[in-house]
Amino acid sequence: MPTPQRDWSERSQELSRLLARAGVGDRAAFATLYENTSAHLLGVVLRIQRDRAQAEDILQEVYVNVWRAAQSFDAAQSQPLTWLTSIARNRAIDGLRRTQTQPQLQTSLPNPDNEDSDVYDTVADDAPGPLDLLSRASDARALATCMESLNAPQRQSVALAFFDGLSHAEVAANMRQPLGTVKSWVRRALMSLKTCLESAVRRDAGTTPG
Amino acid sequence: MDYSRPELADRLAAEYVAGLLRGPARRRLEALLPAHPALRTAVRAWQDRLMPLTAVVEPQMPSPMVWRRIEQRLHGDSASAAPSAASWWRQLAFWRGFSALAGVAALVLAVMLANPGPVQPPIIVVLSAAAPEAGAAPGAIAPASFVASISADGRSMVTKPITNVRLQADRALELWSLPASGAPRSLGLIAADKASVVQRGKVLEGTDAFAVTLEAAGGSPDGKPHGPVLYVGKLTL
Repeated sequence: MPTPQRDWSERSQELSRLLARAGVGDRAAFATLYENTSAHLLGVVLRIQRDRAQAEDILQEVYVNVWRAAQSFDAAQSQPLTWLTSIARNRAIDGLRRTQTQPQLQTSLPNPDNEDSDVYDTVADDAPGPLDLLSRASDARALATCMESLNAPQRQSVALAFFDGLSHAEVAANMRQPLGTVKSWVRRALMSLKTCLESAVRRDAGTTPG
Repeated sequence: MDYSRPELADRLAAEYVAGLLRGPARRRLEALLPAHPALRTAVRAWQDRLMPLTAVVEPQMPSPMVWRRIEQRLHGDSASAAPSAASWWRQLAFWRGFSALAGVAALVLAVMLANPGPVQPPIIVVLSAAAPEAGAAPGAIAPASFVASISADGRSMVTKPITNVRLQADRALELWSLPASGAPRSLGLIAADKASVVQRGKVLEGTDAFAVTLEAAGGSPDGKPHGPVLYVGKLTL
């Protein structure tokens, strides 16, 4: 079974070609690009914007932008799915600005009677929680090792922020921790992730770190 | 703040990509991106690091309405036809006959079938290699080699090579209009290394697809294609 990373890179080549063709006005290529990527992008947007109608509006904006910006996509600089996913995430997060005064997970605070429960067990619906997603993402080899290197609160804070689009303040509210503490968890988590992934790349390249 | 300081740029980029920069801070960073290469590089690196995480998010099929609205906004179509595989099979059948007629041994068009397109007005046709490159993955899309843009009145067209096409001195590239049925119609010779303007009256009339064949210098002497088909591009109206 291909790992998510392998799958990711195989799709990349085809998507790069489709984007290049969309960039010169090929609507058929753009349609194929949409068929191949829209479900993924909607999945990503829906984690952040849970209202389906709004999420689909965002998706529409995303592809209108993609068509217009396809010409500027540079396969030498970016992976196509990374580029597309970034556009979708940015749109989804921008969309949150308007509703930011009503954090969406406010109703899912952990039960105070059960201090030991993992706060993410209580996250709203039956969709996988952000932490479930992290552990699945961890099937990808390098990411797995690096995610393991984070401590639990660091992992949780990154998962909530990244998958569900929570702000620092919302992560703090969800984890019932002071804002400053959460900020420093996230910052340290991201920096350890970076260091870890960079050394994994060096190992892959067959060189020793340093 | 001095955004050219690498550690600051890196930290802001990380928080931006992770989705933690909000409101004015987010807008400020986005406004700074075009002018700050270090910041841009940092953002790209963080996108490369974090976006693969989304590979595990469960895909969600958008409703068909979304694609219709996108088409509507981009091209003003009131309704767009679903991609039609049938027309491609017809074209394949046509090409089989054509290749037998022209004595072309191997025409691989399966690659074109991988990319059926919705019905659309003529603007740009991408002509892709008719045979996939050696070692190409099955189902891979052939690299585009020419872009043809057709004037709105359908009377002229410009072809432009977008990949490096090498041509022997005693050979020429000839452009053909392929009708849905019947014989190909020559639209004249096109240059392998620069843009060519093709003015043959009604370029679009009866045209189902365009093809480029390799012919002797000066082009086909009898108005029928002789050489192998190098590039094909479907015209979708």
